[in-house]
Amino acid sequence: MHVYIYDEYLNKTKYNRAINRLEIRLTDLGLNGKIIRLGGIKNIKGTIQNEIKLGAKTIIAVGNNQTVNKIIGAIIDTEIYGDFQKKTLLGLVPIGDDNSIAASFGIKNIDDACNILLARRVEKIDLGLVGNYYFLNQASIQSLGTTIEIDDYSLEMTERGEVRIINLLSDQKETIKSNPHDGKLDILIRTRKRDESLITVKNLKISNPQEKLIVDGVVEINTPVQIGIMKDKVSVIVGKDRLFE
Amino acid sequence: MFSKENKLEKFKDAETIIGASIKVKGNFQGQGNIIIEGALEGSLKTEANLFIGDRAKVVASIESKDAVINGELRGNVKARGYLALGGTAKIFGDIQYTELSVEKGAVINGQLSMITEVERRGDSRKAEAKNEENEK
Repeated sequence: MHVYIYDEYLNKTKYNRAINRLEIRLTDLGLNGKIIRLGGIKNIKGTIQNEIKLGAKTIIAVGNNQTVNKIIGAIIDTEIYGDFQKKTLLGLVPIGDDNSIAASFGIKNIDDACNILLARRVEKIDLGLVGNYYFLNQASIQSLGTTIEIDDYSLEMTERGEVRIINLLSDQKETIKSNPHDGKLDILIRTRKRDESLITVKNLKISNPQEKLIVDGVVEINTPVQIGIMKDKVSVIVGKDRLFE
Repeated sequence: MFSKENKLEKFKDAETIIGASIKVKGNFQGQGNIIIEGALEGSLKTEANLFIGDRAKVVASIESKDAVINGELRGNVKARGYLALGGTAKIFGDIQYTELSVEKGAVINGQLSMITEVERRGDSRKAEAKNEENEK
């Protein structure tokens, strides 16, 4: 059984056309299933967990990065995670902005998403963890004033720019390679002077008293905070144009 | 040996790059190739190759397989393989190597000694044992 989780913001009338197109396409492909609209639900975690208990084979996040992260947050490290890992796949239909996770999976639009759900190409991928918050793509912060502690050493940054802690790349033009199956995070630091640093780690602690860490482009987290990685934690449905091997 | 092309050829798959705006403090250990263009204080050890750029300032003891040094280094160097010192290299410390090349202009203030075959074998056994331990 497919369960489609529609994010709250899709209640806005400007998304009606997109939703109609999605539902028609899913019906055409025989992929229709149960729809849950997060708009009217207070206990999101309980609702998603209940669907997995009832035997959902695919949970599909309809929305953006935050929708995916809400679903992952409701599943990982809970009592139903065992069931989820054995029986359930995570799919994604991007609608609106902030859809870098869909881009990583090779899903560009609604039509793409439907075809990819039909093809059911599955990959197990790692999951990043910032404090108690899970992420698929990356966490980022302004570089100036940021300190990173790793094992037995620390990094200090002296120029303005951006620090990215990457699990899964979201930009097709990116020159570095990041593997979401290796159980490691890539720290990529780029300054305005086009200076580049790259370090691969399993765990780190990041701090910047002036800036917040932004997770998957949507959630702001105060530092200092620990960042780690959990290997092959989620089975996802991806397109053939995904940005990883 | 010291051309830009050579550098890129050998280090294009670098696992770690420390850029010019980064300062590393502590004991840095790696498995893959490392490029240092910034500052490092402490110690650095890798099973693979090391490149130190001409703007880099390193105050550390370093150990690697092959090493190319173009910057300033205050500390001892142990290159289990080939060590190349570029014309802008400034080394204040003792140097151990298996093969060595020094370009005109390099400054060396320390003792030079060649790693014997026996020492090298011992080191590679240690490295193998460590790799096996890491794999476990």
